[in-house]
Amino acid sequence: MLIEQLINGITLGSIYAIVALGFTLVFGVLGIINMAHGEIFMFGAFIGVIVTSTFKGPLWLAFAAAILVTGIMGYLLERFALRPLRNKQGVSHLAPLISTIGVSILLENLSHHLFGAGNHPFNNTFAEISFQIGSITVYLVQIVIFMISVILMYTLSYWLGKTKAGKALRATAENLETASLLGVDTKKTITMTVIIASAMGGIAGILVGMAFNSVTPQMGLSIGLKGLAIIILGGMGNVKGAMAGGLILGLAETFIVVYGNSGYRDAIAFAAIIVILLVRPQGLFGQKISA
Amino acid sequence: MLGELINPYYLQVASFILINVILGISIYITLSTGQLSLANAGFMGVGAYTSALLTLNFDFPILIGILAGTLMAGLFGIIIGIPTLRLQGVYLAIVTLGFGEVLRVILVNWESLTKGSIGLSGIPHLGREILRTFKELGFNPGVMGLQNNQFIFLMVFLLLLFIVIGIIWFFKRQNRSRIGRAFAAIKLDEKAAESMGINITYYKVLAFTQGALLSGFAGALYAHVLAYISPADFAYHRAVEILIFAVFGGSEVIWGPVFGALFLTVMPEVLRFISEYRYMIYGLIILVMMAVRPQGLIDVHLLNWMKLKTKKRGKEHGTANQKSA
Repeated sequence: MLIEQLINGITLGSIYAIVALGFTLVFGVLGIINMAHGEIFMFGAFIGVIVTSTFKGPLWLAFAAAILVTGIMGYLLERFALRPLRNKQGVSHLAPLISTIGVSILLENLSHHLFGAGNHPFNNTFAEISFQIGSITVYLVQIVIFMISVILMYTLSYWLGKTKAGKALRATAENLETASLLGVDTKKTITMTVIIASAMGGIAGILVGMAFNSVTPQMGLSIGLKGLAIIILGGMGNVKGAMAGGLILGLAETFIVVYGNSGYRDAIAFAAIIVILLVRPQGLFGQKISA
Repeated sequence: MLGELINPYYLQVASFILINVILGISIYITLSTGQLSLANAGFMGVGAYTSALLTLNFDFPILIGILAGTLMAGLFGIIIGIPTLRLQGVYLAIVTLGFGEVLRVILVNWESLTKGSIGLSGIPHLGREILRTFKELGFNPGVMGLQNNQFIFLMVFLLLLFIVIGIIWFFKRQNRSRIGRAFAAIKLDEKAAESMGINITYYKVLAFTQGALLSGFAGALYAHVLAYISPADFAYHRAVEILIFAVFGGSEVIWGPVFGALFLTVMPEVLRFISEYRYMIYGLIILVMMAVRPQGLIDVHLLNWMKLKTKKRGKEHGTANQKSA
């Protein structure tokens, strides 16, 4: 029982972590909180539902389609919501935040109209595969989700730390003007960052669809808000912190459902960050910006 | 005569416009120190629930309920304001958003008190109470040629109008006072303001609490005008709606959010087909405004320009036009 809950918590936490990685990447480079990330994630989940349930397509196709669509959405987001505000004189630093809030309610209500407000099941035989270890039932999907999140985290760390593109990205994060003077194509770098972050949101969307067998237009908001809480918990712009923060939140939520009052599950994330911000504003994993 | 002119539906819409104007002003106050707070929907909920519960369960008069709701929201404002205003920009936005979310979860789950997500119904109606008081005093709306129903909505509207004018007057005065200048200085540059000897924490908490008081007040009024509230009324969408009043109308001058609230409340009522796409349009408005006119429709330049126009027209009457032509 305890171990099963532990596994559930880690699965949930891994998904949170992938969502939070998307937030972290954009914040690390642009210093912007992308409030639309949750909705892009939700669109990824819907693409998964459409490909596997409506067109009876294979799972890999669902992933490919979700990555493609959310990647394009990321491009559009950067092009129309973020780029016009950059390099503009006299724009408040809150402007991009407000602008992405606009995108988020636009997308949420667009999906209401496109897909209806109801709950969409995610029919997939892959999600049914399970095996027994002793008395514990483990679903293959849970292991896959955990693996994907770890792989994404390590790829991202490696990419940021070791590759040329990653270095360009960090240089851009450090100082936009200097980076562009040194020959970094900052426009391309920023666009690429938002696209990658959005595609990761899309992947997380499909994983959630598989793990919980339910996709609704409201899920973007609730997961998006939690993703925000996690990056504060783990330290803004910190890749490993986002991962750890996600796991902590996933476990905390699972255990409060089992041992406490399940109704308060959605409040934990914010109760935690309110405390964190007061006690340790730089987040649990303290450096300022490591990405 | 008067009875035919007064349509309760229009008056009801007008009352909601006025409540939204108060909400718009509440976010304008916090924005005038450069702080983006998304907690105003939450404070509105605090005000609404406090007043509704007091009047429902303890038979308090509405006036006391509204007063208590306002003060309770203000108290929450101080409690949340003091620690969080140490935070900058985006952190404050997220924490205040989080406060709203925590409050919503508590309202949904504390069923013994709040009846959960079903919400509270049968809250004493402001207009009906006024009518009863008038009747007790021996006044019958029939004298004015009004039905009870029309009288109720008319009184609510007039009362709210009076209140809103009072609030606008107060904050216009405050803007010209020491406090208003301190707010403006903090918005322009916190460090510079601090080095000029302005106690920035004090003024930021003051602005935040004023915003909370106003939202709580608007929430309490909302509860007694609609007679029904539920946790969903004070969730994320409300927070965004309040924000967009200021984003669309403008947050530099008080007329900005007033105009924003007015226009954005009337629009879905007038154009019925829009109301289905209302939030999509809100999203687009935010997006376009931020890219094209981040200070909002109404700003200082526009107001000055309008003043100039009306002045010229009043004084010289036509000669000004000749000169410019």
